[in-house]
Amino acid sequence: MQVDKRFVPEDLRYDRNDYWVKATAGEAVIGLTAYGQDVTGDILYLELPPAGSSFRRGEDSGSIESGKWVGRLLPPVTGMVLERNSALETDPSGVNQDPYGAGWLLRVRLADPSELDGLLNPAAYREWIAGQIRREREEEAAL
Amino acid sequence: MSDYWRLLDTGTQPAAHNMALERVILAARSRGLIPNTLHFLEFTPSVLVGYHQSVSLEVDEGYCLRHGIEINRRVSGGGAIYVDQGVLGWELVACKDTPGIPGRLEEMYRLLCEGAVAGLARLGVAARFRPKNDIEVGGRKISGTGGAEAGNALIYHGTVLNDFDVETMIRCLRLPIAKLDDKQVQSFKERVVSLREVLGSLPAMPVIKQAMVEGFASVLGIRLEAGALTEQEKKLLEQELPLFQSDDWTRGTRRLQNSSLSTVDYKTTGGLIRVTLRLDRTRHRIRYAFITGDFFAYPERSILDLEAALKNTSCEPGDLLQTVRGFFAAHQVRIPGITPDDFFYALQTAIYPTGRGREQSLKTAESSAGR
Repeated sequence: MQVDKRFVPEDLRYDRNDYWVKATAGEAVIGLTAYGQDVTGDILYLELPPAGSSFRRGEDSGSIESGKWVGRLLPPVTGMVLERNSALETDPSGVNQDPYGAGWLLRVRLADPSELDGLLNPAAYREWIAGQIRREREEEAAL
Repeated sequence: MSDYWRLLDTGTQPAAHNMALERVILAARSRGLIPNTLHFLEFTPSVLVGYHQSVSLEVDEGYCLRHGIEINRRVSGGGAIYVDQGVLGWELVACKDTPGIPGRLEEMYRLLCEGAVAGLARLGVAARFRPKNDIEVGGRKISGTGGAEAGNALIYHGTVLNDFDVETMIRCLRLPIAKLDDKQVQSFKERVVSLREVLGSLPAMPVIKQAMVEGFASVLGIRLEAGALTEQEKKLLEQELPLFQSDDWTRGTRRLQNSSLSTVDYKTTGGLIRVTLRLDRTRHRIRYAFITGDFFAYPERSILDLEAALKNTSCEPGDLLQTVRGFFAAHQVRIPGITPDDFFYALQTAIYPTGRGREQSLKTAESSAGR
């Protein structure tokens, strides 16, 4: 199933590491965006932090392997894991196939809800993606 | 990318030292303590599993123990490899925002592998990048690559098989070979190639390294100057070594895996197709495919390219059919008496040995591929 990499839902917030956040009353669900999964490629292994563990925004909290590349999971907010999507640890293809739905990564308690103000709104994130795609095309042309 | 990069050569080291050093250099680059670096490393006999792999599934630990072969874990992804004195390791450690290094992984693989390809060309080897991240000569792998990131830095590394001990590799690793008979071993040998085999003799190590330096410098447009580990890196290495020498690092199963080996013989009018697959049934993936038989493929390398195209792909029938048909549509391959769908059916039977007929299998796969 092909996911439109430019798809940016209106009801979420985003960061420049290509994660989305859906916040409600001190909690949030986070995941990788459609563009993020497209850049990463077919995900083969995913290691998520366990429930109860704390993490800081932008700091290494897990791993994502695709095509012999081990990338790091960099949460877009600071908090504590309430639940991880353990189905993805046995079969991470949900992140590629349904990044905003079945492919969610973590449900977390926010340590500092004001961090949400620093995230990108959908329009700003669309602009960020457009810039990245322009850069990719230039790089491709240069190769 | 006109910047100066450090050229670092740490010589032959035990596996734990080499693997810890990768993380140290990556961390040091991410913290801005060192410049971008091209690092050469050499190995004592070792098996290095990928970051998420399980040692018990990938390695014949008894054989390694009996033969003094170390086992360790890389920070990078991909499959287990065997390395020894006949292998040169190269790795590029750079800031992620280094101008000229593509952000998209597939383009980055291509560019950095082209550096190694240019190095091999200087030795007279007509190597080529094969997506996603192999370097091959006439379809046979001479360098496998992989990478990782930490903070603001990336590491991309590979090996050059100088004078490779294929027999030991086959015995150390749990490869997709059901029985180690001579014919299977010979077929496996045909999948990899060393510098000595290509060139007829082996250039001295300094000559190989110099060629690789020139290759990377020309493709990346960089200037390399010999340097050494900094005091900070040495201190970090001291701190990291105990972890990399521990069972926690090497033997901890990082991910739930489900690995099975499956072999099938499928008779066609053009000859027998023997397919052996390593499958991850939890993730519905073909880990490795090994395809032999008594058919004739033109060009000969086609089957090796097909195996590469199947690696880590989905084994769902619809996806598999698309992968196989896509491969034959994109390559000029002639195999008298055998069609692409015969390969699909042989693979499908190895994955799902249910006894369902060829036509029925194709029909089911076609309908799920169209969904």
